Amino acid sequence: MSGEEGVKFPLSEAFSFSLESIKRRFGRALVTMASIVLGISFLTFLLTTGRIVSVLYGEGSGVAVQFYQLWMAVIALLICSVGIVNSMLMSVTERYKEIGTMKCLGAMNTHVLEIFLIEALLLGLIGGGIGAVAGWTIATVWQAFTQASPINIFMVSASLWTEFNVTNPLLLLANPLIAIALSVIIALLAALAPAYIAAKLSPTEALRYEV
Amino acid sequence: MALRYEYAVETEDLAKYYVMGPVTVRALDGVSVKIRRSEYLSIMGPSGSGKTTFFNMVGGLDRPTRGKVFIDEVDIASLDAYELAWLRAKKIGYIFQTFNLIPVLTALENVTLPMVFTGVEREERLRRAREMLTRVGLGERLDHKPGELSGGQQQRVAIARALVNDPVIVLADEPTGNLDLHTGLEIINLLKTLNTEKKVTIINATHDLKMIDVSDRIFWLRDGKIERIETRAEVAVKEVE
Ligand SMILES: Nc1ncnc2c1ncn2[C@@H]1O[C@H](COP(=O)(O)OP(=O)(O)O)[C@@H](O)[C@H]1O
Ligand SMILES: [Mg+2]
Repeated sequence: MSGEEGVKFPLSEAFSFSLESIKRRFGRALVTMASIVLGISFLTFLLTTGRIVSVLYGEGSGVAVQFYQLWMAVIALLICSVGIVNSMLMSVTERYKEIGTMKCLGAMNTHVLEIFLIEALLLGLIGGGIGAVAGWTIATVWQAFTQASPINIFMVSASLWTEFNVTNPLLLLANPLIAIALSVIIALLAALAPAYIAAKLSPTEALRYEV
Repeated sequence: MALRYEYAVETEDLAKYYVMGPVTVRALDGVSVKIRRSEYLSIMGPSGSGKTTFFNMVGGLDRPTRGKVFIDEVDIASLDAYELAWLRAKKIGYIFQTFNLIPVLTALENVTLPMVFTGVEREERLRRAREMLTRVGLGERLDHKPGELSGGQQQRVAIARALVNDPVIVLADEPTGNLDLHTGLEIINLLKTLNTEKKVTIINATHDLKMIDVSDRIFWLRDGKIERIETRAEVAVKEVE
């Protein structure tokens, strides 16, 4: 075979394919994104509230409160992960036949993997972004209405976006940007197993699959 | 001008066994055939005779238990994943009974897809896909999704997709299986016209006897074995007798 022969699927093609796929299966994307948004907004809400309260009333709010917060954060992430894994699994399996077809047209395993991982990355980014902004906004507004000094609260809450306190895991997590990064990681991890299995399917196995 | 081989496809003692517990299904059992370039060939046989299995083996979609497949004189078992993908993208066009179009893509986008993998530029892709869809009579339906098209129209899109990269071989598995008599006949005639015009080899697995009229040769398959090979003339003589 001569040099120019060989299938191509540059990252730009994979990216636009994934983006179109999300747009045109928006219902499915919304379901996946809903669990991300819920989980991440709950996490950000908890940590933002915790941060505001501890600044207003001093760090002395105690180890018990911190432990409680961490516990809640873990629960939030677990709920979010289960939801994402579930909808990623469904969105991959309902496309087995499409994967088989793509492979007949020249797609390689890595191309299939790329498509699904880019989709997960985009969903994680968008869902995490919406979730973090929503959680942070709700917590800030809520505290501003119920606590004494709204301006002070807003300053504490706004500072979270730029604060990268690596010594305290809770403080680090309270940064909405970290929450978004976390969301992307969870989405990618959730998509990895089903996408890998789908990518490894032989074309005939994938085509045999009827939804 | 690319090298021209006499045979587009050759198989040597091709076999595929499916082992299911104590039972071994001999879906394909020692098939040795040569298929010439530009030939229109039909594989006829009852359901379960191994037509789809033959389609999968020749198309490089599945690995045989035994035997070899040569496409343009290259043993496809010797290809790595990269070369195999190229074979599927460029050298072979596939047509299925169930059309297998990507539901979220328009007719035009479905036809451009194989050219994405062969690295054709975007503008050129669109131009060729439009041309090909017009050729199969769907010039007015470019932006329709498969769900908005009839079965016959979907199969035309699939035919356009199979031919758009100018493959050596078009493999079709019961292309008229989901279509009514009249639409089926239209699809058969379209395939025949493209076979004549483009000199593309067409290998057609079917139990649709309408196919006999356009086939150069017919392989009769039974229980995974070639029962007999006939030319169209031989079949026609038999009908008269
Ligand atoms: N994946 C498979 N696993 C087990 N048996 C199979 C599989 N695919 C096909 N077969 C069997 O192989 C035989 C030939 O099947 P197939 O090639 O699909 O026939 P046709 O397309 O002519 O109807 C049948 O008996 C079928 O049940
Ligand atoms: Mg079949």
